[in-house]
Amino acid sequence: MSRSGGIEYTTVRELRGPLAIVAGVSGIGWDEYVRITLASGERRHGVVLDADRDLAVVQVLEGTAGMDPEGVRAAFSGGPLRVPVGTDWLGRVCNGRGEPLDGGPPVFGSRDAEVGGAPINPVRREPPSEPVLTGVGVVDALTTLVRGQKLPVFSVAGLPHLELAAQIAAQATTAGEAFCVVFAGMGLTHADASFVRDALEERSAAGELVLLLNTADDPVIERILTPRIALTVAEHLAFTDGRHVLVVMADMTTYAEALREVSAARGEVPARRAYPGYLYSDLASLYERCGRVRGRPGSVTVVPVLTMPAGDITHPVPDLTGYITEGQIVLSPETHARGVYPPVDALSSLSRLMRKGAGPGRTRDDHLDVAAQLLASLARARQVRDLADLVGRAALSPTDRRYLDFEEAFLRDFADQRDDEPRGLDASLERGWRALLTLPRGQLSMLPAGLLDAHGARESDDHEDADEVGGPGRPEDPDSPEDPDSPEEEASR
Amino acid sequence: MTAAASDRTANALHPVRTGLLRAAHADAEALLARADREAASLVEQARSDARALVAEARRQGEADGADSARDLLVRARREARSRTLGARREAYGRLRREAAERVGGLCATEGYAALRERLEQRARALLGPGAEVTGHADGGVVARTPGRRVDLSLTELADRALDRMGGEVRRLWEP
Repeated sequence: MSRSGGIEYTTVRELRGPLAIVAGVSGIGWDEYVRITLASGERRHGVVLDADRDLAVVQVLEGTAGMDPEGVRAAFSGGPLRVPVGTDWLGRVCNGRGEPLDGGPPVFGSRDAEVGGAPINPVRREPPSEPVLTGVGVVDALTTLVRGQKLPVFSVAGLPHLELAAQIAAQATTAGEAFCVVFAGMGLTHADASFVRDALEERSAAGELVLLLNTADDPVIERILTPRIALTVAEHLAFTDGRHVLVVMADMTTYAEALREVSAARGEVPARRAYPGYLYSDLASLYERCGRVRGRPGSVTVVPVLTMPAGDITHPVPDLTGYITEGQIVLSPETHARGVYPPVDALSSLSRLMRKGAGPGRTRDDHLDVAAQLLASLARARQVRDLADLVGRAALSPTDRRYLDFEEAFLRDFADQRDDEPRGLDASLERGWRALLTLPRGQLSMLPAGLLDAHGARESDDHEDADEVGGPGRPEDPDSPEDPDSPEEEASR
Repeated sequence: MTAAASDRTANALHPVRTGLLRAAHADAEALLARADREAASLVEQARSDARALVAEARRQGEADGADSARDLLVRARREARSRTLGARREAYGRLRREAAERVGGLCATEGYAALRERLEQRARALLGPGAEVTGHADGGVVARTPGRRVDLSLTELADRALDRMGGEVRRLWEP
């Protein structure tokens, strides 16, 4: 029974849109969860948006359609929403407030927890370490996700960020240790929700997934609850049940827009672009719930996906997210236009904790060296491409032309991947090596000589290069990347 | 031309004819041999292509089959899971209905008057002594003051008790 002992308030002064204004209340606080009973006996739910003297403004999650103020009764729970926690969530598909969409009974738990949660005490935090392998080659090799990390995906409308989020959720593993995924979809269209459900069906059937789907037509206040429910469930699966939990939250921009809408309904003073002034701390209260706790098994790793309106990385949502999180995976419209999936802009992407989760003893001895060399070579390749746009490919030096071939191999062989293809880290790094070996050995200065020998890196052939200065001579070695239709390119088809 | 002259000419040309014939035979044999070789090579190439095609078709077939098998497995799992969840929901619904029926049966027991008295006291404690308390059709009481209401009907109390059971309900389908 609630703290109020089961008292229901029956004076509903007004119904306006999704809001019900309940009069004659006492001792009611913000964010209290409300159970609303209609005259017909139908049950609805709400959250207190505002409380002033004896008035409470309640946002009705299911909307106020068909409600007659005369027969409405509102019972206040005495606190914010609580949800049951435990392994019963695994394999379930629920809406954004945790009610079943899969035809099953309500989700039960041996205990419940407040969805607001509390960020982990900083002194009890264990530094993130060990990787979560996503099965997406370019992410695992270049921006390795580390257990306990928060690594957002920055995208723009029209790019396949939801596909990438679903692929990561479907494929991610933690080297055989107990692992599960909580996917919180926010503001999804019904088509997107259906896509996510299909893409994650296998994992769901295996009892390794909790799927929360808040669709675009669901109430905005529910959208604010969805990531909190997801994180509350994840925390208990991780720190009580000892699992490594990956929480994928898509799309956080629609979450922030819901926050803006609720803030406006509360009459708060708007800040940048009308988002509430507490957007930063609100986002932090979500993102900071990930991590590892000293003396407890398991970890919570968070991958929020957000779309940057008009591709503006200085927009408040990506801007503030970038302050809180530990790196970012940026998707690029240019790479997408070249037909590469996932269209990750490797040079703008970064996992700040990668060194804690990759390299000797964690992934592969050569991982960090290969990643560093790939990024360095890609940076040079981009400069060369800009130069080639100005002076033409024929005017480039032979070495520079090899950088253009490297970039092509990088995109077509290394980065490009089917959206249903789980690619192991070894296979990804080998593809990385293959792309790097399109460059002369002298250009691979970040790789130790032993590794270069082991992978058969060749010195630059000066004669061949000299011949090519005058024209596009055909190289002797058919494997040479000088051929635009190189085997690397063919291999990627 | 006389017959003798004709014979002489034929004799003189005999080596030429023989040579030409030999050369023609040799050419023909070489041609045949080459044709045989080419035919054999073509047949071998065709066989090799056919083997490659069959292997590719088999590989594709296996891949398609594996995809179909995986789809079938996923669908079967989804169906099985859906039926399991449906059965659990049904069991849970039945529990709630039975609890409501059983608790309704308390009305006919000897202790009901005392129970109702306690519920009335509880209602007045919550809403104040001036609350209007009436009996509920399903047993128990409902109390009202202007703007407030307390539902202490037996069915409502049973519902709340079931809500508090939480994870214990799982014993319906777990050993």
